[in-house]
Amino acid sequence: MSDDTALSRLRQLEAASAKIPVRDALAQPGRPGVSSIYIHIPFCSHKCHYCDFYSFVDSRDRQRAFTSRLIRELASLAPLAGPVQTIFVGGGTPSLLKAELWQELLASLQETYDLSPFLKGDGEFTVECNPESVSEELLGVLKSGGVNRISMGAQSFNPEHLKTLERLHNPASVPVAVELVRNAGIDRVSVDLIYAIPGQSLQDLEHDLRHALAMPIEHLSCYELTYEPNTAMTKRLGMGEFVRTPEELEIEMFELVGAMATQAGFERYEVSNYAKPGCECRHNLAYWKQDEWIAAGPSASAHIGGHRYKNVPRLESYLTGDDEGFAMIVDHEPPDPVRLVQEKLMTGLRLREGLDVDSLLENLNAANARRVRETATEFENLGQLERTEGRWKLTPSGVLLADGIAGSLLSVIA
Amino acid sequence: MNIRNFSIIAHIDHGKSTLADRLLQATKAVSDREAKAQLLDSMDLERERGITIKASAVTVMHEHNGERYMLNFIDTPGHVDFGYEVSRALKACEGALLIVDAAQGVEAQTVVNAYLAIEQDLEIIPVLNKIDLPGARPDEIAMEVEQVLGFAAEDCVLCSAKSGVGIPELLDEICERFPGPRQAQTPKTRALIFDAVYDDYRGVIVYCRVFDGRLKVGDKIRMMGLGRTFTITELGKYTPKPQKVKEVGTGETCYLVASIKTLGDVRVGDTITIDHDPAEEALSGYEPPRQMVFCDFYPATNSDKKGNDFEALREAMEKLSLNDASFTFQTVHSEALGFGYRCGFLGLLHMDIIQERLEREGDVEIVQTAPTVSYKVEVRGKEGATEEIEVHNPADLPDMGSIIAIKEPIAKVEVMVPKEYIGDVMKLALDRRGIFTGQTFVSDARDMLTFEIPLAELIYDFYDKLKGLTAGYGTMDYEINEYRTDRLVKVDVLINGDPVEALAVIVHKEKSEQRGRQLLVRLKKQIPRHQFEIPLQCAIGGKIIARETIKGFRKNVTAKCYGGDVTRKRKLLEKQKKGKERMKTIGTVNIPQEAFMAVLDVGDE
Ligand SMILES: Nc1nc2c(ncn2[C@@H]2O[C@H](COP(=O)(O)OP(=O)(O)OP(=O)(O)O)[C@@H](O)[C@H]2O)c(=O)[nH]1
Ligand code: SF4
Ligand SMILES: [Mg+2]
Repeated sequence: MSDDTALSRLRQLEAASAKIPVRDALAQPGRPGVSSIYIHIPFCSHKCHYCDFYSFVDSRDRQRAFTSRLIRELASLAPLAGPVQTIFVGGGTPSLLKAELWQELLASLQETYDLSPFLKGDGEFTVECNPESVSEELLGVLKSGGVNRISMGAQSFNPEHLKTLERLHNPASVPVAVELVRNAGIDRVSVDLIYAIPGQSLQDLEHDLRHALAMPIEHLSCYELTYEPNTAMTKRLGMGEFVRTPEELEIEMFELVGAMATQAGFERYEVSNYAKPGCECRHNLAYWKQDEWIAAGPSASAHIGGHRYKNVPRLESYLTGDDEGFAMIVDHEPPDPVRLVQEKLMTGLRLREGLDVDSLLENLNAANARRVRETATEFENLGQLERTEGRWKLTPSGVLLADGIAGSLLSVIA
Repeated sequence: MNIRNFSIIAHIDHGKSTLADRLLQATKAVSDREAKAQLLDSMDLERERGITIKASAVTVMHEHNGERYMLNFIDTPGHVDFGYEVSRALKACEGALLIVDAAQGVEAQTVVNAYLAIEQDLEIIPVLNKIDLPGARPDEIAMEVEQVLGFAAEDCVLCSAKSGVGIPELLDEICERFPGPRQAQTPKTRALIFDAVYDDYRGVIVYCRVFDGRLKVGDKIRMMGLGRTFTITELGKYTPKPQKVKEVGTGETCYLVASIKTLGDVRVGDTITIDHDPAEEALSGYEPPRQMVFCDFYPATNSDKKGNDFEALREAMEKLSLNDASFTFQTVHSEALGFGYRCGFLGLLHMDIIQERLEREGDVEIVQTAPTVSYKVEVRGKEGATEEIEVHNPADLPDMGSIIAIKEPIAKVEVMVPKEYIGDVMKLALDRRGIFTGQTFVSDARDMLTFEIPLAELIYDFYDKLKGLTAGYGTMDYEINEYRTDRLVKVDVLINGDPVEALAVIVHKEKSEQRGRQLLVRLKKQIPRHQFEIPLQCAIGGKIIARETIKGFRKNVTAKCYGGDVTRKRKLLEKQKKGKERMKTIGTVNIPQEAFMAVLDVGDE
């Protein structure tokens, strides 16, 4: 696509606003209020080479305008919400948002949403942070605004590998930042790691894991490096600057992560996520179980009343919004029960708890349900899938083949 | 008026069609401006490939020694596969121009076509063409003609169909040396059908040669063999533009239109007579062309049931069969490939051309299975009786236990080669289970070798190999002369333990292991990795003779999957599903259609 047509396509897509799915969701009788909110803060201090999130370095100081717009959007979405159980602020780098803007944002959330579950200690409010942009001041603001969980982007503790990823922070800043979080009275911390970085050995990964697990954390996300299209990393790979980690080593790495996390008292509850018992990320689980959530901020994806859509991934357009404060949206998919089954297969099989077979298949017609069952049996016979207590779960060898299994199951649905 | 009926015959590319152009021009049938190369090759495919596929008959007028001559001539195809077109054309003629490339010399089809003409008792004028070429060696080649074919070297006419040199002299020779048509033997009308083509507007156009009596517009005619009657609505000649006439007399050739709907209503070789005053005995006709090579065509796009893709193929097949009555087809169903057609062809080039015409003219995409030949299989029938059945699809082979013998077609192959390559060609032929039967001196530089080679061994890539081994100089022709019993076995291909009929092949016992291995190696390249290991096996009876394994994926999982990703990821998986639609599923294995072509490539390396 040439830039011109890309732009005109974008304009066309922007013509739709979130008002349409939101109105539709509100009109659905007897629906409970949405209990999860995702908020996207698009600012970063530097663009990492593997990153395909909507994020950029803000050279024009638009934080103020952004925050006002965000607050307005959240207000317009508020009628959808019930008592809020989980909030997740991701990005970008939310810790780059100035403390005073955070204060405004948090105050407006308190005002417009029912955060009563938090008072009962029943809420989860996560903010993603970069180790070099957390300060005592910011953490104080977050804490008093109800934030009780921080997700810290560590990625690696090896400066060379961080450099390969073009991720600019000093690895020594991570434990310092975690300690700051603890001292601020925020009692749950998650750390993100990336493995299979070009040039990384199994020993290197072991070193990273040891560092991560030595910190006082309850949650670990450990992702294999993914070469997303249109990222610098993928271009560099294509130019031959480095080679991909061989598949066999990737497998060993995956197994090492599992072994070390288990030893440290963590359990794998999703392909790439590990937690101490009871410390799973409830917000992410809501995604993976296809629950509903409200989304605010550019590029944020929502799932409400069976609708899926994404806010326009462009700050300029986002700042405009429509008269009622709704964002312009793209990739809108109206409700579709069959699609929902497919999505459940894709994300649900990745979970330790697996999928409840009967409640999954009751949304399909008999022929489709039969084909899915038959296909599942093939994977059961291969020892990649098992059925226990009415649930399909991947076996240890099946976890590594999750995409293929989900793909096969959903592709037999006519 | 004087009439001369003759055909132009030659080895492929020796210049028949170009010479026909010059004859049209020299007789003013076409103006110099109108003359484009190979004017009679009217099909797109003929023009693109530079070869003649269908014979075409034209009529021109020529003045010689103050007398008018009507020249009816037929340009014929040179390629082996279309040999039947040549023999049909020859039946309608008294003479033949045997064209020989003055640089290349006598080639395999020169010999075969010359003998066809000799058998028909035709007068033959050898013509050495392309004398303008720097490499032309007319004297030497004239000696070859004398040596191999037995025509006196000094009787050869020299010309260049390119520059026109020698063409007036050739026209003189045609008028003087070819005899006129024979006298009528009966007052009743008898005309021999030597070709028929289908035209979208006028139905079937019949080409015939009137041997006795005459044909007029309005005549009610009867096909003596098929017994059907029609009324002539148009008679004419191609000059080469179609020119209507009211009437044609003894000795002439013409085309005829009579509201004939399909080619099935006409049989080439049949005799036309007048319905109310019929001749007693038909003219001697032709043997219908024999299909020697078989393969299946399936629609390339998938449809679970007998759906639109198959319909499109069916339409295309039926339409093409109107134009080419020499290929046969019948519906087949394969577990792996769905509904399709089993087709019979005259040879490999014919198969190729039919496939291309279907895809092009019918706008369908085709998956083609490996070509096979037709076997005669002796089986123990009920109560101990022996029966012979014809099998041209390995899948149709009865249980090995009930088979007494499998007979395969044996081709008599003539190969013309420069002497330095004789050793290589011998080795190739013997490798293909050939039996060497003779060697004939052609010239100081070349010999003609004859072999008996099973057709099944020829149809893969024998011709390509021959060309490769002889720097392009070797030429060949073949003719099926008998069926012979050999130790032939059916090799089954099992994918993940399931036999796949569409991949089975019949091969010689001694070559079965080697062929099996090659086949599996090719299959392995075509079938994508799955979630599990896939064994590929070749088996005879229940005995495994070769095996390969496609390793299973060990890892196929996205690292990260968060809310917004779901849509994108689902779309990715859906794309995979689209890809899978172009595959056939056998058991739990998805096999791309290309894999079914893997058997096609079984050569020897
Ligand atoms: N130099 C030269 N080239 C010629 C002459 N006659 C034909 N050619 C070339 O030889 C090639 C084959 O000529 P065609 O007339 O198509 O041969 P053909 O015998 O009809 O071939 P098929 O119909 O395929 O058997 C063409 O490239 C012609 O231009 C000639 O007298 N001199
Ligand atoms: S900090 Fe996160 S969002 Fe920002 S560029 Fe790096 S990976 Fe992307
Ligand atoms: Mg020709």
